[in-house]
Amino acid sequence: MQSSNADRIRRQRFDQIVGVFHQDMYRYAAWLCRDRAIAEDVVQEALLRAWKSLDALREDAAAKPWLLTIVRRENARYFERKRLETVDIDNLTASQAALLAEQPDDDLGDLRQAIYALDDDYREPLVLQVLMGFSTNEIAEQMGLKQGAVLTRLHRARAKLKETIDHDVE
Amino acid sequence: MSSDDYKQAIDADPWIEDPSIDANAEASAYREQMRALDEKIGQAMSLSVPELKMPELPDIETDNVVSLDAKRSRAPMWLAMAATVLVAAFIGTRVGGPGYDGGPEALAQEVLAHVNHAPSALRITTVTVGDQKLNRVVPRTIAEMNHQGGLITFAETCPINGKQVPHLVIQGVHGPVTIILMPEEHIDEPIELNDGDTHGVIIPVGDGPGNGSIAIVGPKNEDLKRIEEDVMNSVTWTQT
Repeated sequence: MQSSNADRIRRQRFDQIVGVFHQDMYRYAAWLCRDRAIAEDVVQEALLRAWKSLDALREDAAAKPWLLTIVRRENARYFERKRLETVDIDNLTASQAALLAEQPDDDLGDLRQAIYALDDDYREPLVLQVLMGFSTNEIAEQMGLKQGAVLTRLHRARAKLKETIDHDVE
Repeated sequence: MSSDDYKQAIDADPWIEDPSIDANAEASAYREQMRALDEKIGQAMSLSVPELKMPELPDIETDNVVSLDAKRSRAPMWLAMAATVLVAAFIGTRVGGPGYDGGPEALAQEVLAHVNHAPSALRITTVTVGDQKLNRVVPRTIAEMNHQGGLITFAETCPINGKQVPHLVIQGVHGPVTIILMPEEHIDEPIELNDGDTHGVIIPVGDGPGNGSIAIVGPKNEDLKRIEEDVMNSVTWTQT
């Protein structure tokens, strides 16, 4: 009886956390792997992993970075298992192309493609900062980098995007 | 701040608030431009999200889980996360005489031999030991733990120098890290441990001759310094 009550409380807690952060998990995964279908697989694996280690999360306030760390690791595991080749932006699968064809808005479409084309090293900190609202300190912690390296990558990422957008305008 | 400097700073974070940028018309204009770009980046990144499909979740043996903090990228650990460890005299299970009388080298060898002869403890795992087990291995007569943070994945009572002492393993950044609480092993200064792929230290804890020591042993590339500092700050031996 006591055990089943504990299980129920545990499940409630998990559902609450996932309900709040599922969208962040998916978007982070999608921008890491640049493929909608793979992102769904990664999130599924991450949810399983999070469920198994939920008791390692002491405070729900830390749930977001905790879940995103799990997504990051599951994404790395996925690519280790599949040994996928580098994405060729001119030869995308339907699932990859779906990421770019998000909305019929030319302006955002170009920008989305420019983000898509960024190196992983530049795209990931940008996603964490812009989309996830992480500080540069938190990004450094999440990615295992020094803060200076994060600042440099963010600077280069935006400079590249700006250059692309400016070039398209010309 | 030069033009390149402020551009670099703004590119890294367009939402930066800095009086030197506020005072510079060109810098302020550039910041506004980058903020506008950032809002578009945010919109472009906000992909539509498919409906949540919850995977089939396996049953979890809740009795076998210790409640711990989220593991962050920093080297982790119950001691590192403001853990308070009050180590008291360990009398109940003592089988040998008080104090270490074999010399520091002999103690170091015994600790390393014990770690090397317990490979099952050194698994890389996220499965933590249960509260009941942990309390059995580290009873309040030895320590009171507010064990927040890190994964304690092994806990057994083991013989070191003829005394039964708590042997714990936590998951470090590069692999499992062994922590052995030795409340009756009194040493005057730290003893460095080196053995093939592992390294570590035995540190005296607390002041005075009645205080014990703790051994910390981990992979060669594991930064044990921080763990050592946390141990030094959070362990207090009491006199027997």
